[in-house]
Amino acid sequence: MIITKKERKGILIIRRYLTVFFSCIAIALFFLVISLSNAPSYIKDEPDACINCHVMVPQYVSWEKDVHKLGTTCNDCHVPHNSLVDHFWFKIKDGLRHATVFSLRWEPQVIRIKPAGIRVVQNNCIRCHEKLVKPGIFSMTAGQTGIIGGDRKCWDCHRDVPHGRVQGLASSSLVRAPGQDSKKKD
Amino acid sequence: MTSLKKNRHWIKWVLLTVAVIAVFLLGMVLSTIIERRAESNIAQQDGKPNPRIYETHDATEDTSFASKHGGAVERDYLEENPDLVILWAGYSFSKDYKQGRGHFYAVSDIRSTLRTDAATVGTCWTCKSTSVPRMMKTMGNSRFYSLKWIALGSKLTGTIDCLDCHDIRYSELKVTRPALVEAFEQQGKEINDFSYQEMRSLVCAQCHSEYYFKGEKDYLVFPWQNGFSVDEVADYYDSIDFSDWTHKLSRAPMLKAQHPDYELFQAGVHADRGLSCSDCHMPYRSEGAIKFTDHKIQSPLNNIVNTCLVCHPETEEKLRQNVYERQDKIAQLKKLAEATLVKAHIEAKSAWDNRAAEDEMEAVLNLIRQAQWRWDWVGSANGVGIHAPLESARVLATAIQKAGEARNLLAVILTRQGKKLPVQMPDISTKEKAQKYIGLDMEKLKKDKTDFLKDKAAKWDIKPKKSIPPKPVKKEQK
Repeated sequence: MIITKKERKGILIIRRYLTVFFSCIAIALFFLVISLSNAPSYIKDEPDACINCHVMVPQYVSWEKDVHKLGTTCNDCHVPHNSLVDHFWFKIKDGLRHATVFSLRWEPQVIRIKPAGIRVVQNNCIRCHEKLVKPGIFSMTAGQTGIIGGDRKCWDCHRDVPHGRVQGLASSSLVRAPGQDSKKKD
Repeated sequence: MTSLKKNRHWIKWVLLTVAVIAVFLLGMVLSTIIERRAESNIAQQDGKPNPRIYETHDATEDTSFASKHGGAVERDYLEENPDLVILWAGYSFSKDYKQGRGHFYAVSDIRSTLRTDAATVGTCWTCKSTSVPRMMKTMGNSRFYSLKWIALGSKLTGTIDCLDCHDIRYSELKVTRPALVEAFEQQGKEINDFSYQEMRSLVCAQCHSEYYFKGEKDYLVFPWQNGFSVDEVADYYDSIDFSDWTHKLSRAPMLKAQHPDYELFQAGVHADRGLSCSDCHMPYRSEGAIKFTDHKIQSPLNNIVNTCLVCHPETEEKLRQNVYERQDKIAQLKKLAEATLVKAHIEAKSAWDNRAAEDEMEAVLNLIRQAQWRWDWVGSANGVGIHAPLESARVLATAIQKAGEARNLLAVILTRQGKKLPVQMPDISTKEKAQKYIGLDMEKLKKDKTDFLKDKAAKWDIKPKKSIPPKPVKKEQK
């Protein structure tokens, strides 16, 4: 069909307004998503950020009951601390994976740590407990050669730390987790 | 706009499309965020798991899972192991014996098994239908037991369901079958004194226990007077001179063990550590943020992650192999016991054929009775000994030993009779041959069952035209 010059001009004006309109909506939605998903909370290391997703509540609760609550947060163990670059790059990678899986409801019935995560946690165990574990005055206890550079993990023996011996849903009753809008802890 | 060259205007259309798609995708992301946040709030205020529980309960219809020795598939045990036909000669289990399927099939399977016929008693319905507690309450336990199985069929059409284990008003766990309550009363225990964790085993123990029918009226009793172990139960049966049947070949006074799952489990390490049946067979499940007990009661091997892995931090595959290893070893001992028992029965028959005396055969027959009882204790229990591997191995070992001792005595008797040893074994290598050998008319049995299912059983499922409105329940103030 043939469009007149006037009609074409009209179409282009409508197109301009529609583009601006949808772009504004998109930008607004983007900020809503950022705010509702508590995205800024992931930059820092507050444990409450991890229970933005309710599936992590059993892990949060078991950490709360463990001695590690006194001085460590989730990220102290589960995110690399050897360099800022590693720290934030891992957060971005891992965080995007968590977000995708959770949004698409792909999370399995039982959540288990991935090999990359295992390496990070193991390194962090050593980072804090270095004096006890690296060769030196206190390191007469068994297993060092297995741990440093070996394939044994600290929690092969220290099984209760920090998420307890009982894993999965059986480890906690249905507990309250701090909601999206509450700053108070339950 | 006019600054672009004419042939680049299509870019602006792309921009518009991208903006629209961006809005759409962001909208979807936003809605999942809101949804998942909402579901976590709902769960914590007022979790309503019931529809989900019922769905998982219905999932016991699934018969696709087959493990190495079990699972939910239909297995013909007599087909897999014709020795069983000989061991149960003269008893209904020689006609038909299949692996139990999910609770969904309780009513349909008891109807279709060749073990039920016109002679079957009403007691056999006790564990099969959710209407049983109500019927027992209406007509009294004794009367229910003493009626014929066929007479009750039209009233018991609903399979195992919520009311078998739960209170109708408060959903609490409740023991609904009197035999369990009465058995504990004999031991001086009250059913209401058991803890919640113990109840998570006791609602299963209502049916997954050894039992017998007492007296003329076939009253259901659990033989726990002396204790739960196979020897204590045998002592009890001996003390009351009880037999389930007389063996057709060896004339031994036999005992049939029926799935002593609860009793055998008590002897294992998991019970010792405080686990209940439900911890492994009904683990927790979550859908969204709602945590509930998975009512698809099945082999834990079909759900290792939620059962074994809760406490044992190994890989799934390793744990599966651990289970199979134990079951393989028990299966090996089971086979030895069966082989020896078959020989014992047939050698005893040979002795009788050569006119053995009753008093010289008495010791032999008692040994055969004790041996087969012990074999059946493990054989009829679900799981091929996994509920208590060490105890199962011990029990099977005593079965093998007693059957061997019986055969020793028989060798003496047969030699004295002038019979040439070893006794010739008949060809019982298939189910058909074995059933023919013991004189079963399988064609007639199958035809009778088919006719019964078509004529009588089909009528049981027809709902009455006029529906009777339920009586209004008086609401109690609690």
